[in-house]
Amino acid sequence: MKSLVIIPAYNEEKSIENTVRDIMQNAPEFDYVIINDCSKDNTLAVCKEKGLHVLNLPVNLGIGGAVQTGYRYALQNGYDYAIQFDGDGQHDAKFLHEMRDYMIQNHTDMLIGSRYITKEGFQSSSLRRFGIRYFSVLIKLLTGARITDPTSGMRMVNRDIIKLYANVYPKDYPEPESVVAILRMGKKVEEYPVIMRERTEGVSSISPLKSIYYMVKVTLAILVERIR
Amino acid sequence: MMTAKIQLIIGACLIVALIMIVNMIKRRSLELKYALSWLVAIFFVLVLDCFPVLLVKISSLLGIWAPVNMIFFLGFCFSLMIIFILTVTLSRMSERVRKLSQAVALNEEKIDQLMKEKEA
Repeated sequence: MKSLVIIPAYNEEKSIENTVRDIMQNAPEFDYVIINDCSKDNTLAVCKEKGLHVLNLPVNLGIGGAVQTGYRYALQNGYDYAIQFDGDGQHDAKFLHEMRDYMIQNHTDMLIGSRYITKEGFQSSSLRRFGIRYFSVLIKLLTGARITDPTSGMRMVNRDIIKLYANVYPKDYPEPESVVAILRMGKKVEEYPVIMRERTEGVSSISPLKSIYYMVKVTLAILVERIR
Repeated sequence: MMTAKIQLIIGACLIVALIMIVNMIKRRSLELKYALSWLVAIFFVLVLDCFPVLLVKISSLLGIWAPVNMIFFLGFCFSLMIIFILTVTLSRMSERVRKLSQAVALNEEKIDQLMKEKEA
């Protein structure tokens, strides 16, 4: 059973090493790969110096393009499971085992790590929570599925979905859209309660100014996905 | 009716644009494929500029009073069309850039792994 942790990294020089250490300690039989999305800081240098396994993108592709590189790697190297894992210290590697066991037992196609089932740990700002609730309701209306944390960046998928995502993956703000895409194909998407930390370093890729664009774009993307 | 003055001004602008585009094609800084739509647009507006009678006929057919407005209107439509085609091309290009960069990253990693194996 080969499993891969995909770590998209953009300007994560301060936290990337700890993220990898967390995985090596708490989920030692998971392989990992960092996707350096043309960081402007020393992320690449840090990775090379510490001997971390890194895929280096020559131009900045944004989160979607970076994560998709990871899925392509997983496909080429015959991985059975792949999980997206943020490089900024938000996610906790001790959940990786449990999540994979759950997926194997329940034949789940995608398992989303959700902050809002047990409501423990970092819960994000109230404004952001409102946005997440809005996407939850929208997805519920359009697909009937209950997804409490559609923007979660911690998502494990099986080989089936690795193939799909290696082929087609949204470019920016990809999480809710890509979930709807596979829900529409009748795939089994479930959630697993996880605890997330507040990011230790860096800033969110979604600044307050961009959030309106984010809401509009993702809403449209989900609607387009519905009529596809 | 169009005055001879505006006819001349429009004509001169079109000729200058034409020379510039042809020059750029010659220097290969503009691909003929993308210049084609511009050349066609210039050609049409030039014909209409030289023979305003045509313009009067088409304008009255479309219910436009001043023929000069017709030129602007046509030019505007052409520009919009070209901009739209460019947006489509851009989408395709960005998809290609994405695929290429991903392939580069994946191949680079393969080389790294091979080098490591060789050293070991």
